Amino acid sequence: MSSVLQARGVVMTFRNGDEETEVLRGIDVDLAAGELVALVGASGSGKSTLLSILGLLLRPTAGDIEIAGQRVDDLNEKARAAFRNQRLGFVFQFHHLLPDFTAMENVAFPAAAPAGGISPEMRKRALSLLDRVGLADRANFPATRLSGGQKQRVAIARALMNRPDLVIADEPTGNLDLRSAGQVLDLMGEVNREDRATFLICTHDEHVAARCDRRIQLVDGRVQAEGDGSISLTDR
Amino acid sequence: MFALKVARRYLTSNPAQTVLLVTGVALGVTVFIFITALIEGLAVRLTDQVTANSAHVTLEPPTRLAEILPGDPAVRTEGVALVSTFQRRQIRSWRSTAELITRQPGVSALSPQISGNAFLVKGESVQPVSVTGLEPEGLDAITPITPNLVSGQGALGADGLLIGTQLAEDLGLTAGQPVLLRTDRGGERLLTVRGIYKTGLQSLDSRVAFLSLQTARPLFDLPEGVTNIEIKLDDPGRAREVAEFLAGATGLRATPWQDKNLNLEDALEAQGRTGTLIQIFSLISIIIGVASALVLSAYRRRSEVGIMRAFGISGAFIVAVFMLQGLLIGLAGGLLGCVSGYGLCTFLASLTDAEGNAPLPIAPERGGYVAVLILTTIGAVLASAFPARSASRIDPLEAIQQ
Ligand SMILES: Nc1ncnc2c1ncn2[C@@H]1O[C@H](COP(=O)(O)OP(=O)(O)OP(=O)(O)O)[C@@H](O)[C@H]1O
Ligand SMILES: [Mg+2]
Repeated sequence: MSSVLQARGVVMTFRNGDEETEVLRGIDVDLAAGELVALVGASGSGKSTLLSILGLLLRPTAGDIEIAGQRVDDLNEKARAAFRNQRLGFVFQFHHLLPDFTAMENVAFPAAAPAGGISPEMRKRALSLLDRVGLADRANFPATRLSGGQKQRVAIARALMNRPDLVIADEPTGNLDLRSAGQVLDLMGEVNREDRATFLICTHDEHVAARCDRRIQLVDGRVQAEGDGSISLTDR
Repeated sequence: MFALKVARRYLTSNPAQTVLLVTGVALGVTVFIFITALIEGLAVRLTDQVTANSAHVTLEPPTRLAEILPGDPAVRTEGVALVSTFQRRQIRSWRSTAELITRQPGVSALSPQISGNAFLVKGESVQPVSVTGLEPEGLDAITPITPNLVSGQGALGADGLLIGTQLAEDLGLTAGQPVLLRTDRGGERLLTVRGIYKTGLQSLDSRVAFLSLQTARPLFDLPEGVTNIEIKLDDPGRAREVAEFLAGATGLRATPWQDKNLNLEDALEAQGRTGTLIQIFSLISIIIGVASALVLSAYRRRSEVGIMRAFGISGAFIVAVFMLQGLLIGLAGGLLGCVSGYGLCTFLASLTDAEGNAPLPIAPERGGYVAVLILTTIGAVLASAFPARSASRIDPLEAIQQ
């Protein structure tokens, strides 16, 4: 299987004045196309920090990262933004939909803004993605009139709009009730299987982790083991 | 353009706030227009008053080099071409000059005059006056006197005199009464006040007396010539170029009305500066209003903007969204302000006092509409630059982690 993400020796040290916090101490991550991988670890172990770095939202103190065959360490801010737009999808704990736009417009936004408008093809793709997440009938609803679970599904559709090589999700079900969380998870699994989209999902939820192909566990800023799911989430 | 759509959506998402903001801008624009129309109207009114009652170009004999009295020890006279001081300064060939001037396009009237200083003596009271001797049929050519008569009549005759109300009051004169005129040339004659006029111009009403050219000749010892030729033009605005031309053509000294009313020019300039100051302040208040509203809006939307940045929307797009909001607000407020400013000015201009005069000399058509619309729009766009820039620099992580 071809590699989607290859990170080597990622180190992240936060500096606040004289105080230094070494959050990541040399992390290697490899993701193959079509994988659904859980990123687990205790609170404060650096999961979100790692996702931000892999999602090009944060520059690491050290480390090499290659995504979809391209070295991304040397890119300037503009190129990183363009790269995020075209190659990466994001789902966060909070949906972060744009409240003044409809579900369809929210989904199409990542494609429409750089292109200067919503083309008929974009609309078609946005509608089919909404159909995919089970919200075809809510396409023209303002984002504010959707339920929490619906919003998160719209956010997933938005993350998929530009056919990303990698979707990065930070606790996508963290804010949802059990039933909605199940739906969102089913959806990601489905998209992963059917569209061969690669997912890296950070989660505290054992159900979520259990449904992934494999898990990456962070302990004290290092990857403890990549395994078959036999490691408990509460292990340190 | 998608950024425009986003900008519009942002503005319409909070209609109350947007309406308030646009109204504020419109108010500033209205103030701008009001003050512009007022200052311009005032200038027009003052200028009209002056140009309606006085000559647009005055022709006089050229200034002589040496009017210095020889023998004055304080003045070195060597090398100065002395011209007899006994020679009167006058325009001898005024008939041919007048003919030449009449042929010029744009000249609407002309009046050859003998002007000089004199005293009016009535019993114990003596008043200095500026005497104007003119052709009786051309009495109203330069200054409309006949229409402004409040008593008596305008026929000058051989011994007639016309004076203003103020002067008449000072001397206790009424129409039909005799008065002694004593000129600075030593001429003296008993004349009759034929009529009393009131032009509203202080100097005319208190210090000028009109009589006929023929009456003036012996009094000022000028049997043939005149001292000055007064000219009226169709367009007072062309006075400078006409004066320049006539000076060249006649060899006489030609003075446009602007140069004789330097006070007016100063006053208009001072007024203009006051107006400019108020205009600048109204523009500044517009800019501050728009900037603060957009700074708040950018702050409220920073998580939204952060998320756009996270999925890779360019900083330029975010800048465009906010600057387009500024543009839309500026245009809407500017247009609305133009309409309300024009409405206000037209209303104020239509007001009249008991005498049927407009109390405010507003010129609604001179509100500077295009200028204020352009300035407001540019100002609003500039005002949005700072919030736009700061919005485009929001760190996506900040938005996600909140
Ligand atoms: N900007 C920062 N400056 C300093 N320290 C930071 C900064 N961001 C994160 N950290 C620290 O890095 C560590 C890891 O944070 P991170 O958010 O990655 O943890 P996490 O594994 O996602 O935790 P959780 O499961 O609670 O979300 C924490 O100790 C945090 O305090
Ligand atoms: Mg986290």
